[in-house]
Amino acid sequence: MTSFRSLSRPLLLGVLLTSLVGCQRSDSYPSRPITLVVPWAAGGGTDRVSRQMAAHLEQELHVPVNVINATGGKGVTGHSRGMTARPDGYTIQMATLELNMMHWTGLTDLTHEDCIPLMSLNEDYAALFVRTDAPWKTLGELEQDIRDNPGSLQASGTSSGGAWHLALAGWLMAADFDVDDVVWISSTGSNPSLQELISGGIDMVCCSLPEAETLYAAGQVRAIGVMSPKPVPGYEEVPTFEDQGRDWTLGGWRALVLPLGTPEHIVVTLRDAVRKILKGETSIANNTNGTAAGQAQQTFPQFMDAAGFDRTYREGEELQAFFNETDEKFGTLLTTEAMRSVNSERYNSMAWPTMLLVLIGLTLVAIAAVRVIGANKQSDSAEMCQAMDSETSVAISGRGVLNFVLIVGGVVLYCAVVEQAGFLLAAGGLLFLMLLSLGTRIWVSAAITVVCVPIVWQLFAGLLRVPLPPGEWGL
Amino acid sequence: MTEVLQIAIEQVLAADTLVIILISAIYGIFVGSIPGLTATMAVALMVPLTFFLSDVQAVSAIVTTVTCSIFAGDIPSTLVRIPGTPASAAYASDAYALTLRGLHAKALKVCLLFSILGGLFGTITLAVAAPQLAAFATQFTSYEYFWLYVLGLTCAAIVSDDSRLKGALALFIGLLLSTVGLGTDYSVPRLTFGFDQLITGINFIPAMIGLFGMSEVLRNALVIPQANAIEASATPTSEVTTQPAAADDVTPGTFRFAFQRKFSLLRSSVIGSIVGMLPGAGADIAAWIAYAVSKRFSKTPEEYGKGSLEGIGDATGANNAALGSAWIPALVFGIPGDSVTAIAIGVLLMKNITPGPNIFDASEDPAQAALVFGVYVTFVVANLVLWPLGLLAIRAGGVLVRIPRRILLPLIVLFCVIGSYALNGSYFDVTVMMAMGVFGFVLERFGVPLAPIVLGLILGGEVEHKFLQCITKDPSIGAFFSGPITIGLALICIGLWIGPVVISALRRTTRLTE
Repeated sequence: MTSFRSLSRPLLLGVLLTSLVGCQRSDSYPSRPITLVVPWAAGGGTDRVSRQMAAHLEQELHVPVNVINATGGKGVTGHSRGMTARPDGYTIQMATLELNMMHWTGLTDLTHEDCIPLMSLNEDYAALFVRTDAPWKTLGELEQDIRDNPGSLQASGTSSGGAWHLALAGWLMAADFDVDDVVWISSTGSNPSLQELISGGIDMVCCSLPEAETLYAAGQVRAIGVMSPKPVPGYEEVPTFEDQGRDWTLGGWRALVLPLGTPEHIVVTLRDAVRKILKGETSIANNTNGTAAGQAQQTFPQFMDAAGFDRTYREGEELQAFFNETDEKFGTLLTTEAMRSVNSERYNSMAWPTMLLVLIGLTLVAIAAVRVIGANKQSDSAEMCQAMDSETSVAISGRGVLNFVLIVGGVVLYCAVVEQAGFLLAAGGLLFLMLLSLGTRIWVSAAITVVCVPIVWQLFAGLLRVPLPPGEWGL
Repeated sequence: MTEVLQIAIEQVLAADTLVIILISAIYGIFVGSIPGLTATMAVALMVPLTFFLSDVQAVSAIVTTVTCSIFAGDIPSTLVRIPGTPASAAYASDAYALTLRGLHAKALKVCLLFSILGGLFGTITLAVAAPQLAAFATQFTSYEYFWLYVLGLTCAAIVSDDSRLKGALALFIGLLLSTVGLGTDYSVPRLTFGFDQLITGINFIPAMIGLFGMSEVLRNALVIPQANAIEASATPTSEVTTQPAAADDVTPGTFRFAFQRKFSLLRSSVIGSIVGMLPGAGADIAAWIAYAVSKRFSKTPEEYGKGSLEGIGDATGANNAALGSAWIPALVFGIPGDSVTAIAIGVLLMKNITPGPNIFDASEDPAQAALVFGVYVTFVVANLVLWPLGLLAIRAGGVLVRIPRRILLPLIVLFCVIGSYALNGSYFDVTVMMAMGVFGFVLERFGVPLAPIVLGLILGGEVEHKFLQCITKDPSIGAFFSGPITIGLALICIGLWIGPVVISALRRTTRLTE
C-alpha cells in the first residue's frame, strides 16, 4: 500500500492536469458543444431534419452539435426545455407548429413570443389518405358519403386535438359539417395510424405527405387531396383542397428558435450559419451507392428534396408574421364551441387510474388473506416469510443506515448542484464521499475518484455525446 | 434470386464492410452494456456517421449494432442486476442469482449462445417469409393489439416466482405509474400533483435503472459494514473469484445445454419472431412471453426467478429473434416494427431507397433487392461476429465481479446517475431513478417482484390507449371478440387469468372429498 501511496500523489496531479486539457473556456462563440433540443422521438420527420441540420451546423460552427430528443407531454416537454434554457446560445430549440397550439388548450404558457425565431426550415401541408381499395376517389365523393352517413367514418393521424386532427376538423367546418361527423380515433402518430388504415381499422388518415411516403409510393394508400395553397413539388399529381372547391389550407412548420435573452451577436452568428446551410453552401458526405466513386457531398437542400420534405424558409419579420397568422388560425379553431366539445374528454381521464387503484387495494387484501390462511396452515409461504425475516435481522446496522441515507442524499444533492459546479466536481464529490462512507481508505478513494471521473466524462460527454454540464467554472 | 444473393454476400463480405461490422459490433456491445443507453440510442447516435457510408454499409452498421447491444444488455443485467436494455428485464433476477452463486460466466455464455441462435432463427424467418408474414401483421387492428398487450402484461404477472398475487400487485403499480403525466388521449395531465416535470410522465429507463440497480446498491450498502468486519475472504464477492476456473470449463456444457433445449429454443424463437414483426411490440415483450411459456412447460418451474438457466436461455433467444423479424413490416410496408427500424427507415430514405413491397423484386431494381439480401447476410455475419466478441466481453465483465463491493457500489451509483440522465438530459429523471431505487428496495423487502413494474410502465400507456381506441370505434363489449386472431388472443388471456383459480378450486374440492 505504501508504494501505491507514494505513487498516488504525482498520479493524482497528472490525471487532474490531463483532465483539464480541453476544458479551457474562451469568450468567442461557440467554444463548446451546442445542444439541439428536439421535442419529438428519434426516427420521426422532425428528428431526421434536426439531425441533418445538426451535422451541417457542426461543420459550419466547428463545435459538436448534439441532438436531444426531449419527448412527451404532446411537445410541451421538448419546447419548454429549449425555450427556458440558459440564453447563452448553447441550447437551440427545434420548434414545431405545436408551439402555436399548446397555449390555446392551456397545456403551457409558452407561445411563439417567448423565443427568438431564428429561421423556419420547412412547411409540410396536411394531406388526406384513404386505402387504395376505398370507394372514394375525390374529395367531393368523400364529402358526399359523410353527408349521407354522418358519424360513421373514422379518421386518425395523431392524438386527439393534435395538429392533423385540427386540419381535419378545419376542413369539416369549412364544408359545414359537424366536427364529430368524422370520428377521430386518437393515436400516437402517423405510423401507427397508417398501419391501422391498411389493416382496415379506420377509413382515412390525415398526415403530411412525407410521413406517408413509403405506403403512397407502394400504392397501398391513395391521396385524396393536400391542404396546401398550391400543388406540392414532387407530389404534383395530388390535387389541393382548394382545387376541389374547399377553401382550406393547413401546414405544419419546423423552425429553429432561441431562448429569449440570447445575446444579439450569437443570434447573428447562428442566423448566418443557418442561412449558409439553407443556401446549400455547406455539404456533408452522403454515399448513395456502394462504390467509392459514389462518395458524394450532399447539401441540406439536396437532403430535404431527396427525403420529400418541403423547404420554404422564412426569417425575421416574415417569420414573425407567419407565426402570428398560424397562431390566430389555431386560436379560432381551438376556441370554437364545436372544437372545444371534441377536445373535452370523451371518457373520464381518472377512470383508468381509479380502477388500477381499486385493483391494487383488492390485491393487497387478497395477499393479506392468503397470508392469514397460510399462517394457519404453516405452508411454504410461512417458510418464505421466515427466510425473509432472517435476512432482515442480519441486515440493519447503524453504519448501514448511514450509508443508505448518504447514497440517497448524495444523489439528490448531486442533482441540485451539478449545473453550477459542473459534472467533474459534483460527480467527483459524490463518488469520493460514497467510497469513504463504504469504508475505502482515503487515498484509494481519492485515486479512484480522480481516475474514474475524467474517464467517465470523456466517455459520455466526448464519445457518446451526452450533454453533461460543464458548470459555471468551466470544470 | 441466387445472383442477387451472391451480390449481397459479396457486398457484405467486402473488406471495408467487414471492418464496419466489426467496429459496430464493438460499439454495440459497449453501448448495450451501459445501463440507460438503449439499442435505439446507440443507433440514433450513429445516424450522422451513416452519411459517410454506402447503403449496404449503413444497414450493416445498424443491424450489427442492434444485434450486439441487445445481447450486451444481458451483461450488466447478470453482473450487477441493472438491465442494459429493457429487453433484458424479464430474466434479470435469474441471471443475477447465478452471479451471486459465482456462476456469472456460465449464465452469460448461455445468454450469448442462445442470443446468437435466436438471432439466426429470426434472420431465417425474415428471409423466408417476410412478405407473407407482413400480410399477417397488417391484419392487426387496435383490438388485436389490445389483447396482445394484455397477454404480455399477464405473462409478466404469472411468472412471478413466489406469489402470483404479488406479481399482480407489482403489475398494477407499474400500470398506475404509467398513467402519470399527459397521455395520448387526454388534454389534461393526470396525477402530476402540481409538479410540472411530471407532465412527461415517468420514463421507464430511469425507473428501470432505479428499480433494479439502485435498489440492489441500497440493499448492499446496508449490509456492507458486516462484510468488512468479517474478513474479505468471507464476502460473496470473493466467493466468486475463487470459482472462475470452474466456471470457464462450462463452454462445452453450454453447447450441450443448447442442444438439450433445442425444442424450447425453437419455441422461443418462434414467439420472438411473431411478436417482433408486430409494429409496436418488440424484443422486450417477446422476452416476457417466451419466459412465461418456458416456465409453464418447464419440469423445474420453482427455479424460475431464482437462477434458472432454462428461463434465461429461452427469453434471451426470443428477444434476439424479435430483432430480425422487426425488419419485416419495415421493409415490406415502411412501417417500423420497433424504434430501431424506425431510424433505419429514415436512413434508407436518405439513401434514396423507399421500403415497400417492390423492394424484394429483383427484376424491378437489382440494387434494392441486393440491399434486402444484404440485411439477411449482415444479420448472419453479425451473429457470428458476436460469438468471439461476446466471449471477450464476458471475460472483461468478469473483472467487474472481482472488484470489492465497497469500491464497486459507488461506481454503480455513478453509472446509475449518468445512465438515467443520458436519455433525455434531465435531472428530474435522476430523481425519478433515485425514488424508484428506494421504492424498489422497500418492495423487495416485502417480497414483491420488480420486473412486472417495468413492463407495466412500458405497456401501460399503450394498453390504455388501445382500449380507448377500441371503445371509441365501437363501445360494445362484443367488438373485443370479433375476428379469429382477437378471439384466439382473448381466450389465451382469459385462460391465464382464471386457470390458476380453477385449478386451485379443483384441488380444494378433491382434498375435501378425500
